[in-house]
Amino acid sequence: MVSTPLLEAAELISRERVAPGFWCLGFRSPEIARRARPAHYVAIDLPGTFSVRLPLGIWTARDDTFTLLFREWGERTTRLACIADHEPLSIIGPLGNEFSLPDTGKRAVIVAGGIGVVPFWLLVRELLAAKVRTTVVLGARSKHMLVGVDELRALGAEVKICTDDGSAGTRATALDLARELAPPDIFYGCGPPPLLRALGEHANAAGIPCQISMEETFGCSMGTCWGCVVPIRRGSPQAVGYPRATNEKREYDFARVCVDGTVFWSREILWNR
Amino acid sequence: MEPMIGAALESDLDLSVELGALRLRNPIIAASGCYNRGAEFGRIMDVGAYGAVTLKSVTREPRLGNEMPRLLSTPGGLLNAIGLQGPGIAYFLEHEAPKLQSVPTAVIASVAGFSVGEFAEVASRMDGIPGIVAIELDVSCPNVDAEGACFAEDPSSTAAVVEAVKARVTKVPIIAKLTPNVSDIKPVARAAEAAGADALSLINSLRGMSVDVDRARPWLANSSGGLTGPAIRPIGVYHVWQAATAVKIPIIGMGGIENGRDALEYLMAGATAISIGTANFRDPLAPLHVGESIAAELRKRSFTRVRSLTGMANPDFAGVRA
Repeated sequence: MVSTPLLEAAELISRERVAPGFWCLGFRSPEIARRARPAHYVAIDLPGTFSVRLPLGIWTARDDTFTLLFREWGERTTRLACIADHEPLSIIGPLGNEFSLPDTGKRAVIVAGGIGVVPFWLLVRELLAAKVRTTVVLGARSKHMLVGVDELRALGAEVKICTDDGSAGTRATALDLARELAPPDIFYGCGPPPLLRALGEHANAAGIPCQISMEETFGCSMGTCWGCVVPIRRGSPQAVGYPRATNEKREYDFARVCVDGTVFWSREILWNR
Repeated sequence: MEPMIGAALESDLDLSVELGALRLRNPIIAASGCYNRGAEFGRIMDVGAYGAVTLKSVTREPRLGNEMPRLLSTPGGLLNAIGLQGPGIAYFLEHEAPKLQSVPTAVIASVAGFSVGEFAEVASRMDGIPGIVAIELDVSCPNVDAEGACFAEDPSSTAAVVEAVKARVTKVPIIAKLTPNVSDIKPVARAAEAAGADALSLINSLRGMSVDVDRARPWLANSSGGLTGPAIRPIGVYHVWQAATAVKIPIIGMGGIENGRDALEYLMAGATAISIGTANFRDPLAPLHVGESIAAELRKRSFTRVRSLTGMANPDFAGVRA
């Protein structure tokens, strides 16, 4: 279900450097915090020189505050990390669709790569509340890039960690580790495209439903500019559904990540074109 | 939700403008391509703050658009190559046009085409559709008839499109949207006027590109794209200034308008109305902020009509301040 967003001036109330180059910022915004659902994101207008809004996934939401966990990567995220204390920022949110939950008693495995952990705090909270047995497999390049582990464990989730260099947890990829587990009833994934593609192909081959939160460069974050599309199977629910031009050779359709997603079923995403 | 229009605007001031036979309650328009079907931003603000919104361009055939990535943020601007993704005129008329009457302001349709005949056909099928008060011709896309150039790069091609459309569209005014990718816009503006255009929109995006040096490939899947945002504002103001010395028909100025002062630059250069495009992505309340700035400027100068600002900085302004 797509959220009804708000345009709010949210006040920055906390800032924590959780790892080198990784920040967790807290904002007071009762309505965005109350409406936040798993996989929702916000679009932030950063003061200073021109840029379009920065979209960032919501990490935690409690009472009247929500937090954003992000990696400093590029000009806009660096600017956000330096925002003055108590400065109100113009934030639109919550935006996007949300993950679907399986029935009580089912098993879920979450596969997250690096900062791809972001949509999963809210999801884990929902899954555990719905009595879904949940394992999070969290991978990163090294232990310095592993974030969110303590917060997920504090919710009561089983969290397995791995790193490419073996500096924390198992030396493996998140998907390798997930494959060692008993096949779940549903996979969830977020992270670098190669990991998501491998996860999607694994889930599709095993016949296990898999939901993936996708990323693309956003322009408007509101579904107007058609800048952030992903190719998906024609006829799938999130496909645009326009008629075909007579000379159109492509067999897929496009969906907008900003409003038709960010969550898509792995079976709908066309990894190979 | 913000009030329909800022308190500063509900006053003694006359903000209405005329674009040919079209009268708008204020001079602030949402630019084509940035407002899709006029409804999306209504989730967070009142679209009624706009004097009009311009729809994303419609072509004769459905178009899937370009591969991604389609967008790149550049210093002061946004490079895009969406590729006119859209449903085609038949689907638009059946599924999307009926919803336009619920848009709480005037709606300007936009037509794009690859031949003179395509423009004429699509525009004529939009003529008289309830809710559509004017049709803008995006004569800035590649022209198959002229081997890949843009219609608006050439005065006679521009005139051919406008003439063909005017011959078949009788119920609403026609606005020709011109490209800045010319060394002199005056001959193109004159040609559009002589062919019967009721107003001009300028400027469309500037052709540009960026290279990803790590991968040694263009950033955009389409290689090149259109640059919008504040980086192009001085170019837009220049072209409006130039065109305003050449034609009498009203001009809608656009390109990098983010706030009231930007809008005033365009009005004083010779625009009758202004359009906000990329700035919506940053500030969906831009029409309110721009409107309030225009109102404040009028009060400062003891003007009562926004039309008084049109061309006031341009000594060779040839248009009408009606």
